[in-house]
Amino acid sequence: MDIFLSLPFLQELLLSTLRMATPILIVALAELYSERAGLVNIGLDGIMAFGALAGFLVSYQTGNPYLGILAGALGGILVNLVYAFGTIQLGAQQIVFGMAINIFAPAIASFIYKMAFGSSSSLAQATLMAAIPIPGLSRIPFIGDVFFNHTPIVYLTFLLVPITYVFFAKTIPGLNYKSVGEYPKAAESSGIHVVMVKYKASIICGALAGIGGAYLTTSYISTYSDGVVSGRGFIALTAVIFGRWMPGGILLAALFFGFTDALQLRFQVMNSKTPYQLLAMIPYISTLFALIFFGIKKAGPASSGKPYFREER
Amino acid sequence: MKMNTKVVQFLVPVLSILFSFFIGAILIASIGGNPIEAFQFLFKGAFGTKANIGETIVKATPLIFTGLAATFAYKCGVFNLGAEGQFVMGAVVTIWLSSIQLGLPRIPMLMLSIVAGAVAGGLWGAIPGVLKITRGLNEMIVSIMLNYIAILFMGFLYSGPLREDNLPQTAQVIVKLPRIIAKTRVHVGIVIALVVAFLIYYFMFHTAYGFKLRSVGLNRRAAQVNGFPVKTLMLLSFIVSGAIAGLGGSVELLGTQYRLMAGFGEGFGFDGVAIALIGQLNPIGTLLVAYLFAILRTGATTMQVGTGLPTSVIDIIQALVIVFAVAGSALVNLPKIRQVLANWSAEPKKGQGN
Repeated sequence: MDIFLSLPFLQELLLSTLRMATPILIVALAELYSERAGLVNIGLDGIMAFGALAGFLVSYQTGNPYLGILAGALGGILVNLVYAFGTIQLGAQQIVFGMAINIFAPAIASFIYKMAFGSSSSLAQATLMAAIPIPGLSRIPFIGDVFFNHTPIVYLTFLLVPITYVFFAKTIPGLNYKSVGEYPKAAESSGIHVVMVKYKASIICGALAGIGGAYLTTSYISTYSDGVVSGRGFIALTAVIFGRWMPGGILLAALFFGFTDALQLRFQVMNSKTPYQLLAMIPYISTLFALIFFGIKKAGPASSGKPYFREER
Repeated sequence: MKMNTKVVQFLVPVLSILFSFFIGAILIASIGGNPIEAFQFLFKGAFGTKANIGETIVKATPLIFTGLAATFAYKCGVFNLGAEGQFVMGAVVTIWLSSIQLGLPRIPMLMLSIVAGAVAGGLWGAIPGVLKITRGLNEMIVSIMLNYIAILFMGFLYSGPLREDNLPQTAQVIVKLPRIIAKTRVHVGIVIALVVAFLIYYFMFHTAYGFKLRSVGLNRRAAQVNGFPVKTLMLLSFIVSGAIAGLGGSVELLGTQYRLMAGFGEGFGFDGVAIALIGQLNPIGTLLVAYLFAILRTGATTMQVGTGLPTSVIDIIQALVIVFAVAGSALVNLPKIRQVLANWSAEPKKGQGN
């Protein structure tokens, strides 16, 4: 057990926690923006898969992972506009349409990958985004390496938490936005263009979830393969519930899931005797238990999940 | 009016399929292929020879099970996304029974294996059900997490305790389902699948319990006010749904795959969801759509060999069908469109005295 207390182990574990929490956090925030406008989006896995592909392809072609992230955002928006059209315009059941996106988007991603690289087994490799240490702060022993030696996407994702908090809690546009998810008819009668807010929400959600996917292929692993997302979209969905639809809560939830993932990876490196499959279960089992113990109270936006028809009384 | 909704329910999936093939054709043409030739190879691959027809049926069998599993749960208004995990757990228990060498004769061993698979799937499906009705947890997330756990557990088994020799796979099952058509791989599993489909259809639409189950799916509150045991029905639908998927896993193992290895059951859960939704949550529709998916799969390989087009073109067609079907079902339910449809069906009835 001594190894748990050794400084390098702890440092590596915490560093890895932040790294693994990032995709969960950004995608969970994506879901928050969507749900605050009354759209429950369970298609996050699909959006991430498409973002991962777009990010990988562009970063591979240009050699620039930043352009990859941008492509991931655009790809995510594209996919989520399909969802937006289906649920806002056609009033499709959000859960059902989200599920359709989960099947549709990865199929498109897989198709594009095969068109670009053929079915050859040799995996194409892209350059990974380099960490940019923050001058000064990164020199602090221990803390510097854990917190201030990451890729810019990690910093931006964590910065998004206070921004989201301030937006929803302290600004008029944020409160107006929130009212759409709570009681769209009242919002409409006070002059808010409900449908417009829903579309804006879908664009934000698509962009952030797409970045979350692109992060995986530009900053975490240098290849794309089908199933690279491996349920992270659903774990992000859990993080929103677990975090009680509050940015701060979501941050804690994402850190928790990042920690379980990091722990699992560390164990795999250290302990070659335990079958990796049992270790790889840790994040999923933790998600289950997190839900069982903390997921009871329903605290989400009141009108989340319901279709909205302007003309309907 | 009632006739009319039935027609619409039938038309939506049919038009979605035609439309998806149309877009697929454009896609094939845009990457330099000949769509007509491609589709010819596709259907030749699915129906060209007796062996091909058999292969299509073999591919349809597991899809029918996961499709029915999804249909059953959704009819009761619960979203079981865990069919893949339940399918895998069914197969896992079956292979475990095979590995402990009970020394039973062939037929009892087969029956025991299949029943055990269904029970395992039912128990795995009961977990999200119990958590939903007692703690109010989101069944989708729970069932997805259980999928990953089941798949990793299967991986642990075939690369650890149940591994055969050097390859990461288990030994073959000791008893296999009998084949029923000469010179094909078609096994008795398809008969089981059809019987299950028929039983579900009968249960859903011709029994009081089935009516109660559907009413929970249509309007939970109304069902509750009527004194229906809503929670019990929801849990029941989870268990039955899981059992169908588990049965499917067991049948797939005993009839087609014979051993567990990487990729067993992969994608069958979500395909089942797609099939159920395209089939308009009707067991018979599920059968037909599962068969269509199987045609696409068997044909895709022949198409690739014949034309050099990648099989993923066919995956796109499959993915488009689900989006169009879901969007189409929503479209016909829009208040405005409903009005149009109602007017349209009311017109010819004029003069017939209401």
